[in-house]
Amino acid sequence: MLKFTLKKLLQMIPMLLLISLLVFGALQMTGVDPISYMVSPDMAASAENLEALREQMGLNDPFFVRYFRWVGEMLRGEYGYSITTGSSIKTMLAQRLPATFELALWSLLLSTVIGVAIGIVSAIRQNGIIDYIGRFLAVIGQSIPQFFFGICMVQIFAIKMGILPTGNRMSATGEFTQAQHLILPVVTTTISMCAVLMRYTRNNMLSVMNSDYVKTARSKGLPEWKVYFKHAFRNALRPVMVVLVFRLPLLISGSVVIESVFSWPGIGITITDAVVAGDYPVIMVTTVLVAAAMLIASFLVDVLTALLDPRVRLGE
Amino acid sequence: MALTDKSKATKLWKKNLRKFCNNKLAMIGFICMIIITLACILAPVLTSYDPIKPDFAAITKAPSAEHLLGTDKLGRDVFARVLYGGRVSILVGVVGALAGSLIGAVLGAIAGYFGKWIDSLLIRISEVFQTFPNMILILLMVAILGQGLNNLLIVFSLTGWMTTFRMVRNEFLVLREETYVKVCEAFGMSRPAIMFKQILPNVLSPVIVATTVNVAGFILSEAGLSFIGVGVPSSVPTWGNILNAAKSLDVLANYWWLWVVPGVVISVFVLAVNFFGDGLRDVLDPKQQ
Repeated sequence: MLKFTLKKLLQMIPMLLLISLLVFGALQMTGVDPISYMVSPDMAASAENLEALREQMGLNDPFFVRYFRWVGEMLRGEYGYSITTGSSIKTMLAQRLPATFELALWSLLLSTVIGVAIGIVSAIRQNGIIDYIGRFLAVIGQSIPQFFFGICMVQIFAIKMGILPTGNRMSATGEFTQAQHLILPVVTTTISMCAVLMRYTRNNMLSVMNSDYVKTARSKGLPEWKVYFKHAFRNALRPVMVVLVFRLPLLISGSVVIESVFSWPGIGITITDAVVAGDYPVIMVTTVLVAAAMLIASFLVDVLTALLDPRVRLGE
Repeated sequence: MALTDKSKATKLWKKNLRKFCNNKLAMIGFICMIIITLACILAPVLTSYDPIKPDFAAITKAPSAEHLLGTDKLGRDVFARVLYGGRVSILVGVVGALAGSLIGAVLGAIAGYFGKWIDSLLIRISEVFQTFPNMILILLMVAILGQGLNNLLIVFSLTGWMTTFRMVRNEFLVLREETYVKVCEAFGMSRPAIMFKQILPNVLSPVIVATTVNVAGFILSEAGLSFIGVGVPSSVPTWGNILNAAKSLDVLANYWWLWVVPGVVISVFVLAVNFFGDGLRDVLDPKQQ
């Protein structure tokens, strides 16, 4: 097990280096001179000034020197400064990341509980009412754009009924509590995440329930609930857990648009703003951090599945 | 065995067609898809309004006989904008998905057929692409290439090939060991001919299904990107760009026709494509259920 974990851990390092190199290289290739965003037009009028500034910031160094300097800075936790606002990226992340995590954790928790529960019931009562409703909701959840759903929620609960805030993480006037600000974005994200999880749990549960050991358990005369929860559910859960962690990219992808709908001050909005403004340092740091988070998550999945299912680690 | 190969093929095709037609949801999806697509193509026939030119005499008019779905804040007819916008949105979805599948199929065929280091290299590349959450990858590419309709098509093709690649590669790994491939090789048939004429047709069914699903996905992505303002430039009407107006609470509160209409049209179209895709899967790829 230790060997397996170490191997997976070591595999992450070249991957991270490759990704950071590609992100760094690609953004350098855009040909947009970062200096053009950083100085006021009257300063840019003098070529000498520009050249001095460029030298001072190390923009004239060879590509790999700049790359390794950047990686070194990243590792030391120095993320540099935004070229449009001039603020420290580190402070920016410290403010924005918790907001995104808050949203992500609540949505992950809620969608798992609801999605798995409906999935199991749909499988046990196959072709029953809940199964039909679940399947219908799953298709709808995958077809309605998440942000459109969010807009509808804002219109109904915030504008028409006025019982919830239209957006932001806190209100300036103290009119709504922080929890109230969370409700609409969390519900919106949860519903679209539920759809896939529901379908997945249901299909897994169904295939497990058709397996021999479940039939054996039944033929032994065990009560139905025991068959479902002690025999079927535990085995259906493993692939569901894997899918759960693979929901993470969806969650982050979704957060980009959802944060915009609800003016949620998170990392998604940060990336969007940076892309619009061509703020390359911010784009580089945020995308590499997201990729690193994804790698760590998939590493955790590998280790967890290996722990739960010895076939995985022995097969390696 | 009186049947020739050709008539057998037509028989299978007819059987599949019948199976598809019996699937009510798939048929409804197919019909909705066709109706919406045709309406968008025939936009100049269905409406006489210009989707881009402002008309300040008719600002934010509610739906009426004159303007079927009302007008927006610049006095442009919403019905016309939804139709013309659909052209771009559907085009982006279809072209993005087709190009992505093409790249994925070609790379997958190469990786699976040649194996060894080419395979490992291509797998590594696809892993790099897959490490990024889809939306983040798209945003990164938009930052690199710049905003624009053509660039968005390139971005979608470059971000949508990985699933097809995996699928085709895995199938190729198995199929290249088959006797018919060995026979073709023994006859001295060229490698591209073996790969693309002999093996590829056998793995096309799941690729077609995946492409259909991707069309729906890309239409949603385009809408999301244009909504947050980094997709197609706002001067071009697309379903996402029309919905962009809903970012203002004023529009949300007072002018429902500006955001309900494009939102419902996107949802219906994507739903239709998904139903159609599910139906195709039942027919073409029964084991993938």
